[in-house]
Amino acid sequence: MHDAWIVKHRPRSAKEVVGNRRAIEIFERWLRSWEHAIPTQRAAFLHGPPGIGKTVIVEALAQDLGAELIERNASDYRTEEKIRQVAGFASQYMGFFGKNRIILLDEMDGVYGTVDRGAIPAITEIIKNTRYPIVLIANDFWNKKFVSFRDKKKFLIIEFKKPSVNDIFKHLKKICVKESLPADDDALRFLAQRSQGDVRSGVNDLQALGQGKKRLLFSDVSWLAYRDRKDVIFSVLRQVLYSKSCKAAKQMVDLADVDIDMLFEWIYENLPYHFNIPSELAAAMEALATADLYRGRIRQTQNWKLMRYVIDFMTAGVAMARRKSKPSGWVPFRFPQRIRTLSTSRAERKKKSEIGKKIKQRMHVSVGVANKDVLPFLKIIFESDPSMAAGLAGWFNFNEEEIIYVAGGKRQANAILSSVAN
Amino acid sequence: MSSEMWAEKYRPKFLKQMVDQKEIVERLESFVKSHNVPHCIFAGPPGTGKTTAALCLAHDLYGETYRENLMELNASDERGINVVRQTVKTFARVRTLGEIPFKILILDEADNMTGDAQQALRRTMERYTETCRFILIANYSGKILEPIQSRCAPFRFTYLPREEQDEYLKRIVKNENIVLQQDGLDAIYEVCGGDLRKAINSLQAAASLGKPIGSETVYSVVGRANPADVHAMIKIAMDGNFLEARKRLREMIVKYGVAGSDIIKQIHIELFRLEIPENLKVKLAGIVGEVDFRLVEGASEEVQLSALLARLVEAGYEFKGG
Repeated sequence: MHDAWIVKHRPRSAKEVVGNRRAIEIFERWLRSWEHAIPTQRAAFLHGPPGIGKTVIVEALAQDLGAELIERNASDYRTEEKIRQVAGFASQYMGFFGKNRIILLDEMDGVYGTVDRGAIPAITEIIKNTRYPIVLIANDFWNKKFVSFRDKKKFLIIEFKKPSVNDIFKHLKKICVKESLPADDDALRFLAQRSQGDVRSGVNDLQALGQGKKRLLFSDVSWLAYRDRKDVIFSVLRQVLYSKSCKAAKQMVDLADVDIDMLFEWIYENLPYHFNIPSELAAAMEALATADLYRGRIRQTQNWKLMRYVIDFMTAGVAMARRKSKPSGWVPFRFPQRIRTLSTSRAERKKKSEIGKKIKQRMHVSVGVANKDVLPFLKIIFESDPSMAAGLAGWFNFNEEEIIYVAGGKRQANAILSSVAN
Repeated sequence: MSSEMWAEKYRPKFLKQMVDQKEIVERLESFVKSHNVPHCIFAGPPGTGKTTAALCLAHDLYGETYRENLMELNASDERGINVVRQTVKTFARVRTLGEIPFKILILDEADNMTGDAQQALRRTMERYTETCRFILIANYSGKILEPIQSRCAPFRFTYLPREEQDEYLKRIVKNENIVLQQDGLDAIYEVCGGDLRKAINSLQAAASLGKPIGSETVYSVVGRANPADVHAMIKIAMDGNFLEARKRLREMIVKYGVAGSDIIKQIHIELFRLEIPENLKVKLAGIVGEVDFRLVEGASEEVQLSALLARLVEAGYEFKGG
């Protein structure tokens, strides 16, 4: 039987929750303060976008603190009466075992004026007198129906933010380890990026694509972004590459409603495989380069009217380059490499620029010169002479990650690191 | 083993220690003697001692506490007008307390400053002349605004002559206890041509291989340090393999972070060394120039250079066919 990974790998303790360290710390401190006395802020209002762990953190902390969790969410009726029955009672009377207790009112966005009439005033009333911490959760704290919760003296308001791509990446990686699913880093990073801070959707995607595989590769996930678009892109590509008239080449773009920049990348990647006569390849590439030039002009001038020329050249321009070129046999379409490299090399570029800055501080050169004229030599030293490299690593103040980068791998770096230790 | 980059370890600290650029050093020493320094432009190719001369000047002028009276900015990293308006101005206008009434601001790679920033700099230089002197460092003084140039004393640095570079390297060899063979020394000069920073970095990288340094070691080190093998890429394209050539291009740009403008510069140089008809060279140069200009207009490096590679494929085909 297959469990949903999002449930199976739900954090059991606050330490395991992804991101939002500061918010969690504040929240935990407040919950713990109840052990001594009832604080003036009797309720906490956690808010932030979906899927980032607001509910999860309440559950995890209830575990950590050994508290009983009484939970109500949008699926329950929330009339004044019901609220009083459940939350009102729970907020006053001890449980059977004298345990601590947390009352969670989740998905507050779903409280509606007419159906849940009187719910908000009832909650406000209960909070005034509660003997146990009450936690409210909503996405949109600034909605005017929550106006009575904005008093910071009475309510602890904590904003939860989207965890970083890197945090989500690490979380996905952890799950892969637990599931014994080897996965390429760039595949996981792609999923993390695509989730846009929504941990839940990231984990769901991971399960959908990874479960049952021997290994999760980048190519397994890269289609995700274009899941429903693949066929559309393919037919547009075919049309652009093989149309006999300008009209036919151009019209597909309008009909198919695809993203122009995305289509451009697909054409750029695949075009060379479909022209086998050098002069026609050159003409087709030139048409594409002209389209690209107009994109550059648009970027620089913000004159979006020029977009029509981008489309002209990348579609009709490419199609009209063909005279006799014919690929031999069937040529499969390829996923644009540039999209892949852009998403994977961002982290790398950042690391490189950090290293460049450290070189700059020591050697009176710009970051650019450091990377171009110093780093290549440094790489050779780090690959060949661990003891000299160790000295230099100290002199430049490189951290472990940077040493691994310059040395070109963990194995070489280990020799340097052990030399540092000596 | 040494725990510094040799290029720093052996960087002269005082003007007196500078072996090269004799006339320039003499003039700078006279500034020190008279306790007066005009605004200066140090122009010249990389690795010829421009930054070193500026640092030495400051050191000689203020003594050990020179850091307090000196600011070093690199225009490539801080090139916008805001740097001039804030960082530069703040530093320049505060009077120093020492014996010498002005501070020194070194603006390295000044030819990379934006036009606006240079305009702003012009006024700042005038207004705070009493409290701050500027040393602008650039590869090409031509890229610095005329009005700024006219306010500065120009110094033109040139590549080190062979004997001076050799002398410098031999001193390091002796000090570091390594073996550099004569053909190794020749090779360094051949590939670095008087760029002392590159020469020293090459020497240190070669030394890290842990054997006597001959010409082969030098060539292999410098070859590995220059992943942008533009020559090979052009050859592959001319031989008709567009996909492989594009793959090489991508590696240069993405993996090694070589700037598109550097690749174009290199292609332009290589072009005239190719064994193709002379009129074809001119035709291709026109295309290279067009690509160069398009990058200024904001086009993508990889796409434009790929289109250029397709042209080379075409040219190679025509040349062989006809």
